[in-house]
Amino acid sequence: MFINKTMTRRVITIGPEAGILEARGKMEENGIRHLPVVDENNKVVGIITDRDLRSALPSVFSTCREDPKELQRISALKVGDVMNKKVTTISPMDTLEDALLLMHKSNKGALPVVDRDGNLKGIISTRDLVRAFINVLGIEEPGTLLCLVVEEKLGQMKKIVDAITEEGIPFGSILVARHWEKGKRAVFPYLLTVNVAKVKRKLENMGYTLLDPMEWSLDQTRKS
Amino acid sequence: MRRTGFLYDERFLLHDTGPEHPECSARLLAIYKGLEEAGLISKVRLIKASRADQAWIEIVHSIKLIMRFEEACLWGMNELDHPDNKMCRETFETAMLAVGGILHTVDLVMEGEIDNAFCAVRPPGHHAEVSKVMGFCYFNNVAIAARYLRRKWKLQRVGIVDFDVHHGNGTQNIFEDDPSVFYYSIHEHPSFSYPGTGRDFEKGTGEGYGFTLNSPVLPGWGDAEYKALLEKDLFPAFEEFKPEVILVSAGFDAHVDDDMSDIKLSTECFSWIMENIVGMADKYSGGRLISVLEGGYAVSRLSELARNHVEILLGSKA
Repeated sequence: MFINKTMTRRVITIGPEAGILEARGKMEENGIRHLPVVDENNKVVGIITDRDLRSALPSVFSTCREDPKELQRISALKVGDVMNKKVTTISPMDTLEDALLLMHKSNKGALPVVDRDGNLKGIISTRDLVRAFINVLGIEEPGTLLCLVVEEKLGQMKKIVDAITEEGIPFGSILVARHWEKGKRAVFPYLLTVNVAKVKRKLENMGYTLLDPMEWSLDQTRKS
Repeated sequence: MRRTGFLYDERFLLHDTGPEHPECSARLLAIYKGLEEAGLISKVRLIKASRADQAWIEIVHSIKLIMRFEEACLWGMNELDHPDNKMCRETFETAMLAVGGILHTVDLVMEGEIDNAFCAVRPPGHHAEVSKVMGFCYFNNVAIAARYLRRKWKLQRVGIVDFDVHHGNGTQNIFEDDPSVFYYSIHEHPSFSYPGTGRDFEKGTGEGYGFTLNSPVLPGWGDAEYKALLEKDLFPAFEEFKPEVILVSAGFDAHVDDDMSDIKLSTECFSWIMENIVGMADKYSGGRLISVLEGGYAVSRLSELARNHVEILLGSKA
């Protein structure tokens, strides 16, 4: 899964010479929080976030907003003065997994996607990942989620999938989470059916534990 | 006592979903038995089904869906689009009879022949969308009734209360942009139950924003939480909306003994809910209320649940 399949291609950018009020306007207009700063050759020279702008602009409670001189001085500030020059970027041929781990590690909400020559190709943000996650979960199709706690050993998934398939139930998705209990996995089959009572009984009769929905978690760090 | 209609027809049993299907004709037999044993059959006005004029189905559903459904039955197919939707040759006619019977019941209420009614129909309807059958549902009975009240009877405000344990995605979808039909649903939270819609941030679209209201309930919850949510969400919403008629999507699958959900309602709580809906109908709608069966699969419980439901409509329950 390469970044160039999931990234947003139509990137809204700004130049380093633009005023910071223009940058704020662009963010508000487009409902975004990150603007890659590019030069005339579409090379990334920085990134400016709404947080950078907030710290550069006076507070809404500040009286200097009424001072025309002060306002003039602020509106003369350029994106290049405020932007972050050290940009965390990613390549179009890096993978979604790279992006997830890099965003997790660097605590960034968006990464400009830059090719080998430094040209801006797109941007990948938490929003793109949220959209992809909704698709992976399959939750835009009607269905019912179950959660089974299973021993971590070979062949478990086959048994579960076979048992459900024998009932003629299609899958929307099936997720496996590392369980908080050692040697266990939490398996989440998302079944595209309303008719789950029978298959639930069947799985229980096969010896699987159906976890109480109030205990479900995809996060292994969670403690019950 | 109120004059209560009871729509029931043995032809509703003809919709055969095959072996081991929860939406089975035994459900209706249990409902009828519950009323009969309590001596209610002589107290209600028994209404027989009549085939709907297809034009009324087209006020909600696409002609393409109606044709595909009819054709599938004629071909003798045993399911439509999804293994949930099991059917037989008679399913299309049964669905036509259910809609026709409900619209006739609506007429009787609007003409003042009866005050309210319970329509024990199959197949159920609230999952069915304009062009999509799903979750055991083919024609959206309640949605057709709501639009019929708008078109034929020129009502300005129709209120729908859906207490089936599953969200009525079809009804919500059909009316989400329509401010003249208020759709309220209380159901098991969509992250734990079919069909995965009915989150509390789904409030309608466009002009219909604010005329859809959902109360998702967490697994394992029961009477206390249901009562609190209905008091917090439904009662003030209908106080403001003042429906001219109340339609009820009556599903009994939130019952503790029903294995289709993790919600644990007692039989008494179903009575509490219905008493309050009837109370709202008295207050805002001149008593006009038409309740239509949706889900409810604990056959052993349906007799008592239906009996209480009808006694409350009659106003004869102590």
